[in-house]
Amino acid sequence: MTAIVNPEELAQKQIFLILVPPANMRQRNIELIKEISTLGYHMVVITTNFPYSVLIKLYSDSGIDLNKVSFIDTVTRNSIGNAENIPRVVRYVNNPANLTDLGIAVTEVLKENAGEKVCILFDSISTMLIYLSSSNISKFIHFVTNKLRLMDISGVFLAAEKGLDPMFVSQLTTFVDRVIDQDNSGG
Amino acid sequence: MTETSGDESECIEAGILENALVLIAVLDKKGRIFEWNHAAENITGYAKADVIGNTNIWKYIYPDKDYRQGLTAKIAEILATKNHFENLETTIKTRSGASRIILWNTKEIQWYGESKAIAVGIDITREKEMDAFGRSIIDNANVLMAVMAPKGKVLLWNKGAELITGYSRDDVVGNSTIWKHLYPDAEYRSTITRQITGIISEQRYFENLVTMIVTKTGERRIISWNTRQIEASGGYNEIAVGRDITEQRHAEEALLAYISEMAMRLKNPVEIIRDNLQEIAALVKEGKLTKEEMVTMLEGQVRNAKQVAANVLEFQKAIAEKNKDIPEAYRSFLSG
Repeated sequence: MTAIVNPEELAQKQIFLILVPPANMRQRNIELIKEISTLGYHMVVITTNFPYSVLIKLYSDSGIDLNKVSFIDTVTRNSIGNAENIPRVVRYVNNPANLTDLGIAVTEVLKENAGEKVCILFDSISTMLIYLSSSNISKFIHFVTNKLRLMDISGVFLAAEKGLDPMFVSQLTTFVDRVIDQDNSGG
Repeated sequence: MTETSGDESECIEAGILENALVLIAVLDKKGRIFEWNHAAENITGYAKADVIGNTNIWKYIYPDKDYRQGLTAKIAEILATKNHFENLETTIKTRSGASRIILWNTKEIQWYGESKAIAVGIDITREKEMDAFGRSIIDNANVLMAVMAPKGKVLLWNKGAELITGYSRDDVVGNSTIWKHLYPDAEYRSTITRQITGIISEQRYFENLVTMIVTKTGERRIISWNTRQIEASGGYNEIAVGRDITEQRHAEEALLAYISEMAMRLKNPVEIIRDNLQEIAALVKEGKLTKEEMVTMLEGQVRNAKQVAANVLEFQKAIAEKNKDIPEAYRSFLSG
């Protein structure tokens, strides 16, 4: 199977925006985690859609080494109230609209994994749009990408293809190194 | 051609005099009237019998003493250097009290063997009113209006043009430098010039050509131009009408941005919720979810749907607030 992201570009700590057909979003998430973790990266997954407890089952079923994945979960606490953070495994944020807590969580998780080959996966910009304006999301993505570049870490942002307006896509394009349109790339 | 006798000639002259559509008077150097034609009677309201043989008519038609004295001085000044005057414009008062603007031309003639002056007065009141009306329209139009001679020399620059560009009539009329000020970027100016030249060579006018000008204060404004060629002595001039569409463009851009934002935050999220529910259903069928996980995921989608509903309400409220013309019942409905 063809790699979704180029391993050489990943090694250069590049940042990617991947536009995926909405129906394939979960499958692409799993494939990316498998593909990148196999390359020796520790994956930090920011999930705004599926809770950590479900994702680990899906990853495990797909043969992903869960030791190579940690999570920032913005879904669970929103439903069941209190869920305790598990160091180096999962950190919960109350809801996806709380960008301050999300920013702190990203900073802390990246610190926890300092010195490792880390790649962050943000799933997904499209779900964030339910809770936040594109300008706020744009600012947040700018913040995260700056942090990744300063810490020399690669990253992948997932979004539903045809789900973002051209102006927003062009803004996001300025923050990332490469845009991969899964529909156009035949992936 | 048959020759005419002296009597016949006099008859013809008298016929022309009487039937002319312009005011004709014959007078001596003191202003005493010797002839007063039918048009003079019609225009002034004073009959031949009132004016022949005396100078009273001038007091009648110029009742304001200061105006009359000023006019007399002016005529005297003209006649000091030549024995006639051309295109002297005066305002007369008719017998009914109305004002008429008359354009006078005089010539020295021999009248029954004596030296007299023939004065021809054309009533230009209507033309003057039309001119004033036209000027008023040009000046009060809320658009930039300019008339240009070939090569861009500006002949007319209205108040709208002054307001939009910041450049006054005195800055602009009589030269073609304004275009360099309005389009300071040489490359852009050259592109626009090429575009205009191309269009004009094909159809002699252009419609809704949109350009970006830089005003005197450095502000950028978007102008939609329409032009027409108008005949002028020995060629054509261009009349250009420019509408400032800056605000309209900004509003259109804002509306487009707003609609796009709403599409991203309404339509696409609904599809996300649909896809998530399909995935949850598939996971349930496969027996991969505990009851607690199922509840967590379904609640997540309920929350997403609630937020989409809140976004729709926000969108409706914004529409109701922005559009003042929406009937109250609809405004109330849209405001939730």
